[in-house]
Amino acid sequence: MTAFPAALLPLPVAIPLVVCAAMLATAHLLPGRLPDILATLTALSVAILCAVIAARAADGPLVYWFGGWEPRDGVHLGIGFSVDEASGWIAAFIGLLYALTFLFAWGFFDRTHGHFHILMLLFLAAMVGFCFTRDMFNLFVWFEVMSVAAFALTAYHLEESALAGAINFTVINSLAGFLMLGGIGLIYAQTGTLDFEGIAAAVARGGRDPVVAGAFCLAATALMIKGAIVPFQFWLADAHSVAPSPVSVIFSGSMVSLGLFGLAKVSAVVFAGSDQVQRTLPVLLIGMGSFTALLGGWMALLQRHLKRMLAFSTISHAGIMLTGIGALSAGGTGGMLIYVVGHGLVKGALFMIAGILLATRASIDEIALRGLGRGLGPAGIAMALAGLLLCGLPIGVLDQGTRLVQGALTQQGHGFAVAAGAIGAALTGAAVLRASGRIFLGLGPDPGDEAGAPSQDEREKANRPLWLMLAPCCVLLALDAGLPASLIEHGIPRAASAFMHRPAVGAFAEGPAWLPWASVAAALVGAGYGLFRKRLPAAVVRPVSVTQSAPTRALELLHSGLIGDYAAWLAVGVAAIAAVLTLV
Amino acid sequence: MLPYAVAAWLFGIGLYGIATSRNFIHLVGCLGVCQSATYVLLLGLGYRWGSIAPIFYDHPPGTPAVDPVMQALVLTDIVVGATLTALLLVLTIQAYKRGGSLDPEKLRPMRAGGKSGRDPGPSRVSDAERSVS
Repeated sequence: MTAFPAALLPLPVAIPLVVCAAMLATAHLLPGRLPDILATLTALSVAILCAVIAARAADGPLVYWFGGWEPRDGVHLGIGFSVDEASGWIAAFIGLLYALTFLFAWGFFDRTHGHFHILMLLFLAAMVGFCFTRDMFNLFVWFEVMSVAAFALTAYHLEESALAGAINFTVINSLAGFLMLGGIGLIYAQTGTLDFEGIAAAVARGGRDPVVAGAFCLAATALMIKGAIVPFQFWLADAHSVAPSPVSVIFSGSMVSLGLFGLAKVSAVVFAGSDQVQRTLPVLLIGMGSFTALLGGWMALLQRHLKRMLAFSTISHAGIMLTGIGALSAGGTGGMLIYVVGHGLVKGALFMIAGILLATRASIDEIALRGLGRGLGPAGIAMALAGLLLCGLPIGVLDQGTRLVQGALTQQGHGFAVAAGAIGAALTGAAVLRASGRIFLGLGPDPGDEAGAPSQDEREKANRPLWLMLAPCCVLLALDAGLPASLIEHGIPRAASAFMHRPAVGAFAEGPAWLPWASVAAALVGAGYGLFRKRLPAAVVRPVSVTQSAPTRALELLHSGLIGDYAAWLAVGVAAIAAVLTLV
Repeated sequence: MLPYAVAAWLFGIGLYGIATSRNFIHLVGCLGVCQSATYVLLLGLGYRWGSIAPIFYDHPPGTPAVDPVMQALVLTDIVVGATLTALLLVLTIQAYKRGGSLDPEKLRPMRAGGKSGRDPGPSRVSDAERSVS
């Protein structure tokens, strides 16, 4: 018999699955708002259960073996859930994000018989399962369930560009699934088990082994595709910009960062014993992460379609998270875990504001919306605040994560990655601030390069009161800014060490205190340049716009929207990772 | 060695097909080829020479058998493949209904010069013409 707290572990996955099956069976009978209520309550209960589990896991990871198939004599036959403190809190955060998204989407989908809620609950169950599992193949199954729910949700509107975006998303992420399965097959063939701990022990015994390196290459590529790391990032901009705004909240807030969460877990737990992998990781992750942070930030600044801009900003922040993992220290990974939560809160709020503009002003195009935001004052304040938090305003959870990541990177002498992260964050902050200035204050009549960026107007239903959409958005921002810093500071060293299966450490190093302010200043300068370019002297504007325009066109050309190009880039990326693994 | 070479070749040729495809249904087929690579790889990894299928109904327990875990993985993989193919074909049909084409070049997601937007900038015209032709 499993003891009390461990017996709770399957519930956060089982409850949404049972509710969504029951809703599917009775969809045509359920009256009006019942699916909304049921879904919100389910997500809330998942959040509470996960929080209880996480609090119990503080003393050590909780383990649950399905059907009582516990390992005997070191042979792992069963499938288990194993929850450490950090995984539990991440799952609780995801549950809360879903509950607030359901509130935001209250009555959003009218004639759907609750299909939106069913898909979302399936998505939620998959995410929690992904956080909890301790079995490689189980990880793949949740990865695929997550993907399939996401594919269907992207195409929910069944419009032309939504369908094209969903097809690109589906093909690239299916390829990711196949790569992961190939990697799992290789690691199983070499170690004879699928359990995280079992594989870790066998890998540590094995020494240098090309098969293990190959398995890592495939699994890491798959998780990086999910995490939208350059050169695998192309699907994200297509999918996030066309998905319904409540779905984009979930995509950017949790799905992308979960890919990187999985990568952190796999590289810290499963492949901890392989010297070859551990030596490659810093080079690979910090290099790719820095590049992703810069490219995503630059692309975000060039967009006029708000959701597409936020999508590129997510890419940039995913790069920063990746550099955190690449530090390979408890500090870097702990910072990355905090960053996942903080980024999810802020980015979720931003996508909600985009949804509010879509619903009340019937447009998502920054230039078309110029000045139309007057009368939505609170939304404007929320957007400006979110933009400041995004570029590193030193308050709240996101800032704490940033400082821990920067601290870990500085400690190991990766100054370039620290700079790249700060610049990437500043660029995304500049993009958001420029958009909020233009939309809510009517500034910036003369657009720069962003005028040539892709855009398409869509409609979302305007049947919801403003306060109902604004409330969850403000809750997210308040959580980010208001969670007591001492609580996190106290808990994270223990949680991060347990997450990485390492002995506990004291406090973590933090990055230089001036760096966030420098980021904020750079973001304000960038936004100011975008909005007031007409009033600046031509001697300043001309050289800047000359250096901007050519690379801008080249970058936009690269993001061609052609699935064939994306597949080719995927092949290039896999080859590059394999090359780094063999050479280092 | 042969199964691994076959798996790598299948994945490569499928990826090549996806990269060069000009028809979504052909593309879904190529994705299926990529997936076959994983079937071959997994079955090849689990295979033992001279052993039976892992069904002990008419064999005494202890007879050498191929690895049943790999076969379970392949079964799950087939389910995933069926789901993906069905979903992609549905998306393709819907895209065809709306766009009137199966060519990825003509059915691109949001591009500069897309169809709507309140004030089309000057740079949008050329691309719009290209997407019509």
